[in-house]
Amino acid sequence: MLASIRSSTLDGIDGAAVDVEVHVTNGLPAFTIVGLPDASCREARDRVRAAIESSDLAWPMQRITVNLAPSGVRKVGAGLDVPIGLGILAASEQIPLSALEDISAVGELGLDGSLRAVPGILPMVDVLKTNRVIVAAGDAGVAALGAGERVRPVRRLRDIVDAVAEGLPWPHVEPPQYHEEIRNDPDLADVRGQVSARWGLEIAAAGGHHLLLVGPPGGGKTMLARRLPGLLPDLSPEAARLVTRVHSAAAIRLPGSGLVRRPPFRAPHHSASMAALVGGGSGRIVPGEISVASEGVLFLDELGEFAPSVLDGLRQPLEEGVVRVARSGVMREHPANVLLVAAMNPCPCGEGGSVGCRCGPSARLRYSRRISGPVLDRLDVMVHVDRPSPTALLDSAPGESSGEVSQRVARVRELAACRGAPTNASLSREQLEDAAPLDAEATDVLHQALTDGRLSARGAMRVRAVARTIRDLDDAGSTLRACDVYAAIGFRVRPPMGGYDA
Amino acid sequence: MSMRRLVLGCALRWGDMMLDELRGEAREDVLAAALAALPGATALRLHNLLEARSASEAYAAINDGVLSSDVAPLEVLEEWQTGITRFDLGILQARIDAAEVRVSILHDADHPLQLKHDIDPAAVLFRRGNLPDPGLAHVAVVGTRRATAIGREVARQLGFGLAQAGVVVVSGLALGIDGEAHRGALLAEGAAPVAVVGSGVDVVYPKRHADLWQQIAECGAVVSEAPIGANPEPWRFPARNRLIAAFADLVVVVESRRAGGSLLTVEQAMRRDIDVMAVPGSVRNRAAEGTNALLVDGCAPARDVADVLVALGLSEIAVTARRDNSFADRGAAPNLRVVGGAGSKEMITVLEAIDDGPTSIDEVLARTGLAVFDVSACVEELVTANLVTHDGARVRRL
Repeated sequence: MLASIRSSTLDGIDGAAVDVEVHVTNGLPAFTIVGLPDASCREARDRVRAAIESSDLAWPMQRITVNLAPSGVRKVGAGLDVPIGLGILAASEQIPLSALEDISAVGELGLDGSLRAVPGILPMVDVLKTNRVIVAAGDAGVAALGAGERVRPVRRLRDIVDAVAEGLPWPHVEPPQYHEEIRNDPDLADVRGQVSARWGLEIAAAGGHHLLLVGPPGGGKTMLARRLPGLLPDLSPEAARLVTRVHSAAAIRLPGSGLVRRPPFRAPHHSASMAALVGGGSGRIVPGEISVASEGVLFLDELGEFAPSVLDGLRQPLEEGVVRVARSGVMREHPANVLLVAAMNPCPCGEGGSVGCRCGPSARLRYSRRISGPVLDRLDVMVHVDRPSPTALLDSAPGESSGEVSQRVARVRELAACRGAPTNASLSREQLEDAAPLDAEATDVLHQALTDGRLSARGAMRVRAVARTIRDLDDAGSTLRACDVYAAIGFRVRPPMGGYDA
Repeated sequence: MSMRRLVLGCALRWGDMMLDELRGEAREDVLAAALAALPGATALRLHNLLEARSASEAYAAINDGVLSSDVAPLEVLEEWQTGITRFDLGILQARIDAAEVRVSILHDADHPLQLKHDIDPAAVLFRRGNLPDPGLAHVAVVGTRRATAIGREVARQLGFGLAQAGVVVVSGLALGIDGEAHRGALLAEGAAPVAVVGSGVDVVYPKRHADLWQQIAECGAVVSEAPIGANPEPWRFPARNRLIAAFADLVVVVESRRAGGSLLTVEQAMRRDIDVMAVPGSVRNRAAEGTNALLVDGCAPARDVADVLVALGLSEIAVTARRDNSFADRGAAPNLRVVGGAGSKEMITVLEAIDDGPTSIDEVLARTGLAVFDVSACVEELVTANLVTHDGARVRRL
């Protein structure tokens, strides 16, 4: 007997439809799975057998062949357990063949016959077009984002058999309660003093400009960076769906509602490999940190300690907003639309040439050279974060809260949306010409900076985008003034970094 | 064992033959360079050796083993006797010629006068370029390698002003103060500078000063006691500092840490009764601890070029130098007018809130009470006008 049921597997951050064909025939009892299964998929045979027997159903003592079509796509994970189990039951005539029509299933089986959630359920159900999509109860919320009413969440294999063979109603599974996500981002009001650094943070958040925080240890670089996501507006519905898909594929815990609504914040350790940061891996291409942080903040603390090759690997994704990872035979495009925030010390000892610095000039130069020019060139806003003065730390009133700042940030982002880009930083050259006209004095300033060699042609465009954000935050006037341009130039990274002053 | 002795004997005899053959045609300077490269050839021993001999005579004396222990301890002499046979004088000559190095010894006419009469004379000197007229005033500008931005600026200004006034700037080409003094001197296109280095004159160290090295070799002189190809080993630098002191009529220390190498130069200057001046620094600047201590010990303060020129007895030039103060104001003065013309009150407020010492933007904000946007814009405008510098961390008035 031959049974066939629809399912899907994960391919990068996308789902790939898979037809599970099960053939049961007389012969010596055997169980083979063909069609490019990976190790965890091949182990399905033991789980499925135990699950069927635990569900008071019979394991056919016959020759069982499972084919996963199309055979060219690598099948990963345990999500095919449930369709294989159902196929065996149908092929051994324990449930009618017709029961599998218009049904698809994704889920892992436990030995006791229960269904377990699998990573990447959202992209996987996206490709399933059948009227009923069976998933584990734990996946109900996320799967509903993709398949809506068609989802049939179940807890046990027996429930499926009861529903499709005995005609019993599908069990009612309480969908995870939707609730407003609690904003537990730390608040900017905790930061005392640091006026110029706060302003840089606000500009980076408002305009989506990549940010570099430089300063001695204990100055508050990490503290500031962690407050950046709290300044960003909620994700748009499309962005939320994209982020949820990526997070689902990367097996990252999703919020209770299933949908990621707040911009993600990722802070990989500086020992991260190229594959961890931009994505990769053998077998299945797993999204890297830059994709997981897409539409949110990628925070690289201790930038100078990252392997230079890994940092250089970020150049193209930062430029294009997507990362294309190629492995033998496959190439996958993942989103990489991040707001990069990097933090580093000015020199190995961290004091940056101030009175207590223990580094010689060559040590400082070596340290600043660890980050290549092209990477630094992509960081539009450089902010020096000094240790706050004792008076600022102890006496001053708390600064503005994240709530107040995020309102201004949201307003600037709306202005950018009117200009046809999500942020000022992503305005194209032509859009920038229209959106950021310079008055005569501002033109002179930019021209002077170009002739002095303080700015490259590319740098001048970046300065214009930052100046646009500065003006938007100030009074949103249409023309850029000289002071906007000056302030924007002031944020450019100045090599050699780290300062030589005592 | 016996076999080895036989082979060694043959090699020695063969070496003798080579030596005889070479001695006839080898140039004096090549032989002098070879002597300087002998193991344990200290300045004192070379001086003893060459005091009453030419290079070829000294060479023969070593080879024949006729030197007494007055020149050097006997075991050193033995070492020289075997060591001398190993030189390939042809290669040495090629290296000297390729690097355009001039080798002079004590009695040569072009051996620097200052060194001939020094208390620790350098018997063999290597140099690239031409030494300036010994009749000109020579001032050593020295200091720490780990200098502050202000210290380096002062060194550059001193170098510039001195060279412009026709004073030879002598320094060590090291990172920090030394290099900046040379840079200023080159910029002035006045008197040619002299660089006394610790490595061989054909071994550029530090690598970052390769450009300075080349420029000084072209218009002034790079000199060293160290033989051709010698690496910058740490022990060579105290000897180098002694030469800097020997060349100078006056030593100016710009910034020195508490136990800095430039204090060795000061010590050597004092042994020679050469005046030492020190540039006063902030009491909170660790790079100025050594110089401030010198001032406490009674050294004259050097606030600017004019102070140094007065100390040299060149007071007439000093008056004009003080009036011009040419380096500091060049370029800045017209821009001051620009600022005045623009009439931005905020910008003047911001400029007044910025110290000569490094000031952070947050400090400027606190002092002026202006908004962060105005201050950032003003600071960058002041940077463009060359009135302040901004190193990414702090701003400072120029």
